[in-house]
Amino acid sequence: MRSRNGNRSILFAGIALISTLCTGADHYYIGYRLTTQNAQAVHETFSVSKAMQPCPASELSTLSLRRFPDESLKAVLEREKDTFIEYTLPDATRIKSTARFLDSDAKTQETLTLPTQCYAVEFNDDSVTISVLK
Amino acid sequence: MRISAVIALLLSVSALHAGFLSSEEPNVKCVYSGTDGNCVEPILNAENQLVITVVGQGVAPSVTASPAQAYALAKRAAMADGYRQIAEKVKGVQVEGQDTIKNLMLVQSSTRTSVEALVRGANVTNTTFKEGLCEVEMEIALSYSRVLR
Repeated sequence: MRSRNGNRSILFAGIALISTLCTGADHYYIGYRLTTQNAQAVHETFSVSKAMQPCPASELSTLSLRRFPDESLKAVLEREKDTFIEYTLPDATRIKSTARFLDSDAKTQETLTLPTQCYAVEFNDDSVTISVLK
Repeated sequence: MRISAVIALLLSVSALHAGFLSSEEPNVKCVYSGTDGNCVEPILNAENQLVITVVGQGVAPSVTASPAQAYALAKRAAMADGYRQIAEKVKGVQVEGQDTIKNLMLVQSSTRTSVEALVRGANVTNTTFKEGLCEVEMEIALSYSRVLR
């Protein structure tokens, strides 16, 4: 006898699997982190990983990015960084900021993090369609 | 005796007039703007939403591959600054200070401020880039429905 919640998770996973098979989209986990020091960007990283299991969620909004032949998702995101960041930032962004003032010396550091979340990614010949899943 | 009492009365009336009955309104800078653009009290209530506007600033690195890269990096730094300001206004700042005094003299003074928050629904409304400085105007609308979500 399964619990009600257990049945629901299986149902969601089934729906996600069927939708993935129908649309041909792969699921990826994508995260982003930017570090700035004294108002200058000093470091930024994209984390891209293919999901081992389909994400049990439905698609919300969609973003289409240009893609050159045989270009990986990470390369597309690195090239179209601005567009992707503006697409995802309003959803949820974590900010951590510290400032130190020692006598007349000031140092500030901000870390902007896009929490890693699942996206449905569909590779076409000349474009990539990315949809945030929730 | 009576004359001094009358003078005191006149002085107090004129002071009251200058202090409390003056028609000049104090010059208050509007930090928060309502949905109709008018200056409103910075109070979130069930009827109205509170719109907070900030201007984040970012500087382009001195060495970049191209002007486009300088713009992109400065804009990203400006957005991080904007998010910091939103977090500071909504959540508040933690401030720690330490002064070292030796022989009744201040020898070292340090201050550390920090803020950490998860921000949802902030949008960039305007971007300007001039002489290596990027300014990003950002706003976030706070409402009961969003806060309680």
